Amino acid sequence: MKVTIDNLTKKFGDVVGVEDLTLHIDDGEFVAFLGPSGCGKTTTLLTLAGIYKPTAGVISFGERIVNQVQPKDRNIGMVFQSYALYPHMTVFQNIAYPLKLKRVAKNIQHERVQQVANVMGIGNLLDRRPGQLSGGQQQRVALGRALVKEPDVLLFDEPLSNLDARLRLTMRGEIKHLQKDLGITSIYVTHDQVEAMTMADRIAVMMGGHLQAFDSPDELYSRPKTQFVAGFVGNPPMNFVSVDVSRSNGAFIAQADSLRLEIGQERGEAPAGYDGAVVMGIRPEDIQISGAGDIAGEIFIVEPLGREDLIDVRVGQHSFLLLASTETQYQTGEQVKLRFDMEKVQFFDPQTEKSILWQQ
Amino acid sequence: MSLRGELFDRSKVKTEEVSASLQGELIDALRLGVISMLVLLLAGFLLSGVIGPLFALGSVEETVTDVLTRLAWLALPFVAYIAAASVARRYTWSDTPRALGLALTSTVLLFLLVSAGHYAFDYGVFAPRPSLQMTLSQTEAGIRVDAIAPGGAADIAEMQVGDVITAIRRDQVDLAALNLRLSQSEEDTPLRLRFLRGDEELQETVRVAIDSDKQLRALLPGLIIGLVFTVVIVFLPGQWAPYIALVGLLAPLLVGYFWVIVATFSYRTEGLIPLDSNDNFGGFTLENWESIFVGNIAGLEFNIWPILMTSLAIAIIMTFVVLLVSSMAGYALSRMNFPGRRFFLSFTLILHGFPAITLLIPIFIVLLRLGSIPIIGELIGFNTAGGIAMVMVAFQLPLGVWLMKGFFDNIPWDMERSALIDGASRWRTYWEILLPQIRPGLLALGIFAFIGGWNAYIIPATYSIGSGVSNLPVFLNELIDETAPVDWNQVAAVGLFQLIPIFIFFIFAQEYLLNIYAGGTKGSS
Repeated sequence: MKVTIDNLTKKFGDVVGVEDLTLHIDDGEFVAFLGPSGCGKTTTLLTLAGIYKPTAGVISFGERIVNQVQPKDRNIGMVFQSYALYPHMTVFQNIAYPLKLKRVAKNIQHERVQQVANVMGIGNLLDRRPGQLSGGQQQRVALGRALVKEPDVLLFDEPLSNLDARLRLTMRGEIKHLQKDLGITSIYVTHDQVEAMTMADRIAVMMGGHLQAFDSPDELYSRPKTQFVAGFVGNPPMNFVSVDVSRSNGAFIAQADSLRLEIGQERGEAPAGYDGAVVMGIRPEDIQISGAGDIAGEIFIVEPLGREDLIDVRVGQHSFLLLASTETQYQTGEQVKLRFDMEKVQFFDPQTEKSILWQQ
Repeated sequence: MSLRGELFDRSKVKTEEVSASLQGELIDALRLGVISMLVLLLAGFLLSGVIGPLFALGSVEETVTDVLTRLAWLALPFVAYIAAASVARRYTWSDTPRALGLALTSTVLLFLLVSAGHYAFDYGVFAPRPSLQMTLSQTEAGIRVDAIAPGGAADIAEMQVGDVITAIRRDQVDLAALNLRLSQSEEDTPLRLRFLRGDEELQETVRVAIDSDKQLRALLPGLIIGLVFTVVIVFLPGQWAPYIALVGLLAPLLVGYFWVIVATFSYRTEGLIPLDSNDNFGGFTLENWESIFVGNIAGLEFNIWPILMTSLAIAIIMTFVVLLVSSMAGYALSRMNFPGRRFFLSFTLILHGFPAITLLIPIFIVLLRLGSIPIIGELIGFNTAGGIAMVMVAFQLPLGVWLMKGFFDNIPWDMERSALIDGASRWRTYWEILLPQIRPGLLALGIFAFIGGWNAYIIPATYSIGSGVSNLPVFLNELIDETAPVDWNQVAAVGLFQLIPIFIFFIFAQEYLLNIYAGGTKGSS
């Protein structure tokens, strides 16, 4: 089912939940709404579900405009962060509830519930009550309940954030697999950029009720269109530093105090045309500690992540996060040389925060 | 590393010196005892010297400060014993002799301190009291005079050592009776004593004197009580303390219930003891209960069943309506946004604080008018169980609405959204998803409403004047009003009869409540 959101605005009194949002989601696509708390992603989701009525704009499922359609008539399934299982019902009754409301015959209910429960791996828990299940099992019940009525659209509201890290990883894979298998158009709200990057076909990055970007994960990562997107997507986050870019002798130089970096033509030309300072962004993995480097810095913090060390290096009064192999045991206070991969740097306008390299 | 030095300088932390010597501990115990006494003394002086006069200044008549002051004085030594014994308690089981020695020594010392205070201030056993100023002892013939204080009341009346007192005027007395009489006398009360001197029977009037008889002998009972008390405190298992306090506080209530139960099964009671017609223990009977069902108590004829049915009707209607309306209103207030919501909420709270009694007359008029409407008047007009229930419901609703709103507030929004998305209508969500989750709240409110309706007195008594519609509490009052003399055992039986349904209700409700929590419905977060 295609989901089309056109110029959607939702206000609560004077408080703007989401403003002028336009998104076109294809049939069978897995879209993630990504953004910090309070950015309007859950509001959008609940408006799609029909819990909130839009203040302005049009929402259509397929060709049908659903603005005034009640939630029960939208044929959607939703999984909540809190699972929202009915505590007084057994797992079976929970999963069967949407079917019961649709007046599906009892024997078909049994069949379908058993089928869904088996797929979710909870087939042996049908007699339990939610209170007797672990968090992961409850999550599966919630997912089963959303799937059992064969919805046209599946909505996820941060479904994994109450699970422990390990289980989250497993469920992430399962949900993605299931979605691809069933081909149900899915919208997944999360504030965890790793979840969004790994699961979604396209990511809608939101902030302050506005859509910042709507692109594939790769595109968002390598060609961020705003500084917010660049900073929000990617872990550890991108380093930002305010620099002056100038052209000298055919080369482009980014300069900030003692920091002096040479940029290639491809990335250097556009920012050089700017008057005054621009914001330069560089991802931690694009900075290496190397004897051949030309920037001198002092190690301030070393955080072992297991596979790599996350290192905070101070260069003058600027601070850069970078990743280094654990083989070299760096110590706090150590003097090191840094090499910046200037082919991957990003530049943003400090006023509009828009990318200088990738115009929209 | 100055930061480190500052944060972790161990030399700045002083370790408390542990006094291990017996002498040191004794001083500890005494100090604790004295401090607690000083606190109570201060409290007493504050009550009698500051708060009491302040009340008096405002011409408020009260005896509370006086009673509390005297209580403080009375408790003073015992609090000190407890404080001292608490020091000894740490050895109770590891080194019993040491604990006992420590506790008893400090008790004796504290007792001496308290007694010295009593002696100095003429308080306690040294307080001035009515006295005949002679020493008496009980013999077979009567009360023998053993000694006479020179210049005292007895001396003035020319009593002599060896006289045997037999009576005051014509009333035969023994020593206990004489002392009782004495303690009730005031200064200068004449007591005409009849006594034997040799074989002669004489009479002499002794005028009671007020004397503080400072005999150290009188201290002995106090000391013994103190020592026994201390031993009990030393050996009392710590976890009993709350129960002892609880039983102590509940004692008046428990005694009351005990009396009610005993009284219903006996002809007559003296205190808690059932007596028969010869003042002997016994005299159990079922007559009190029988007469309830026969319908005749001291000439007042009645039929208990309609009264019981009225009570039940009021209670059940009330429970049902209160639950229905409160839960729906609570849901609306918790979940919906409508104009006037805030006003409604604060207004119901004010209504709840509004005393029902001030509305009796306006409501009377309303009910009277309602009663003149055909059909509806039969149901909820003046002098109908429905009308009474309706008024009671109105008074119960503010509490119920607030209570239910609170319960609904605790159900996550997601639960409701989930049900709506699953395909339920709002009504269905309310009945099938939300109501089952506030069952404990419904049950609690139901119990409140039922008991409120069952025990209702003022409203049924006011709005069912002189007709058949009266409930048990009203009937109970009638029983007291219209029978003379009042047979209290009969009243107790009716009272207990009224309690029976509540007992049954509670037994079932409790089981149900426990079931709810055992079922783990608290479930998902």
